[in-house]
Amino acid sequence: METSIPKTSTVLKTLLRADFTTQWRNRRATILTLVVPVIILATWKVMIPHTGGPFVLSNSIVIGLIAIGLMGYSNSIARDRDKGIFQRLRVAPISAWSIMASRLTVQIAMILAVTTAVFIVGNSYDKVSLSPAGYLVTYFTAVVGGVLYLSLGQMIVGRIKNPETVNATVRLVYFLFIMGGMMGQFVDSPEVKQIVQWSPYGTVRTILAFGMEPSKWNNNASIALLVTLGYAVVCAVLGIKWFKWNTK
Amino acid sequence: MREDNILTVDDLSVSYGKFNAVQNVSFSVRRGEIFGLLGPNGAGKTSTLSAVEGLLKPQGGTILVDGNDAVAKPLHARASLGVQLQSTSFQTELYVIEVLRLYAGIYGVPMRKADLLGILREINLEDQAMKKFGELSGGQQQRVSLVIATIHNPKLVLLDEPTTGLDPQSRRQLWERIEAIRDKGHAVLITTHSMEEAESVCDRIAIIDHGRVIAIDTPQAMVDKHCNDPEVIAVSRRGRVTLEDVFIALTGKAVRG
Ligand SMILES: Nc1ncnc2c1ncn2[C@@H]1O[C@H](COP(=O)(O)OP(=O)(O)OP(=O)(O)O)[C@@H](O)[C@H]1O
Ligand SMILES: [Mg+2]
Repeated sequence: METSIPKTSTVLKTLLRADFTTQWRNRRATILTLVVPVIILATWKVMIPHTGGPFVLSNSIVIGLIAIGLMGYSNSIARDRDKGIFQRLRVAPISAWSIMASRLTVQIAMILAVTTAVFIVGNSYDKVSLSPAGYLVTYFTAVVGGVLYLSLGQMIVGRIKNPETVNATVRLVYFLFIMGGMMGQFVDSPEVKQIVQWSPYGTVRTILAFGMEPSKWNNNASIALLVTLGYAVVCAVLGIKWFKWNTK
Repeated sequence: MREDNILTVDDLSVSYGKFNAVQNVSFSVRRGEIFGLLGPNGAGKTSTLSAVEGLLKPQGGTILVDGNDAVAKPLHARASLGVQLQSTSFQTELYVIEVLRLYAGIYGVPMRKADLLGILREINLEDQAMKKFGELSGGQQQRVSLVIATIHNPKLVLLDEPTTGLDPQSRRQLWERIEAIRDKGHAVLITTHSMEEAESVCDRIAIIDHGRVIAIDTPQAMVDKHCNDPEVIAVSRRGRVTLEDVFIALTGKAVRG
């Protein structure tokens, strides 16, 4: 009798169910990723008349996406790898990509959820409403931006094995993004502004803000999109190349 | 055409960097057989199993699982394998029943709740179905891990020190389960440090040390063959030669680092 390999659809469905359940059980940690985005929406409301709604909403979403990619994704991968959870999955007749695809699908769902939460709070509290096309394009740019931070998270778990070190590192990088990226926008220096604009913080913020007003999408936005994709590809390639499934 | 061997390991070498953990190891496991892999700490047992499971890429040699090359056709090879790893964990946030459902699904035998509870009943953990896996005791986790190893009725079950941490009742139950697998015509490859276990359940054993196989035979034949060796007699106690005496004589008295 020829041994048959389980059907890919069954495997993916099963993995997704388990990974979504795990995410749901960790919902308290998930809610924490929303804290800073909501603080931005609450405290930056006063700036909306000067900067426009998309500026505030885009900063809020970027911070949420960074939290997902770094704090959420990296930490969960580092922790599960250290416990040997991946090794057990890998001796099953399933391909490595299906394990990762399921994990990443959960993160993409998180990206959409955080974006939706910002839309809702932005609409009800900050009174920022977008056109239907604006919402749609922003979901797309949020996924693109989110993928960049997931790749960055992948790079960190590719380089660092110890889960505590991963946790400390992602917190540091998160802090750098807040101080350098978010705060850097308010430094009164053209050089700093330029650096921030083309950093992994700024390009994502740019595509989000332009995505909210698709009619204003310009050359700069297209370049920011390409640069974002470039960052994502570089980080993903290195992150996958360095990645080891076990910590031993 | 059906081969008699469910597993053939031929001239296997595994290294970690420059360190050769497994060197030119050859053995085979027949259908309907319980095969024991014995050896001191660090002998290379887990490394050998890891190569069979496809977790490690061998430096040399070939591994055939039910006729499928473990390197060239890893998914086919793994589909015939049930595995319990020496150190592993399941998603600690999932309930026990959810862990079971996950593994049933990824081994291609999706199960409904009643089936899953039935499996837990077999290992007397039905009451713990809605506990998180991380909340089980060590021995209970081990029992779940073992039942998962056979959830898809595999042709070959690999067990790496499965009875470590089990109470005597669970250990006996495990032996019975292993024997039931054999009686179905399937095979078990088990590592253990318990010579009593090897003698009572294994049909054949291989002793491996420093990454090399130093003997393969039935437990009884191994004792018979070596019972008059002076080294064996020197380490035997109470005037009776046991498998443990032979093991110690063959692998040396020194405790491994
Ligand atoms: N990931 C690793 N990196 C480097 N060396 C390793 C690694 N895993 C195992 N080794 C080494 O390979 C040798 C064989 O290890 P292995 O785990 O196969 O032994 P074992 O026979 O299973 O021992 P035990 O009875 O203690 O489980 C040991 O010397 C060990 O130190
Ligand atoms: Mg071992």
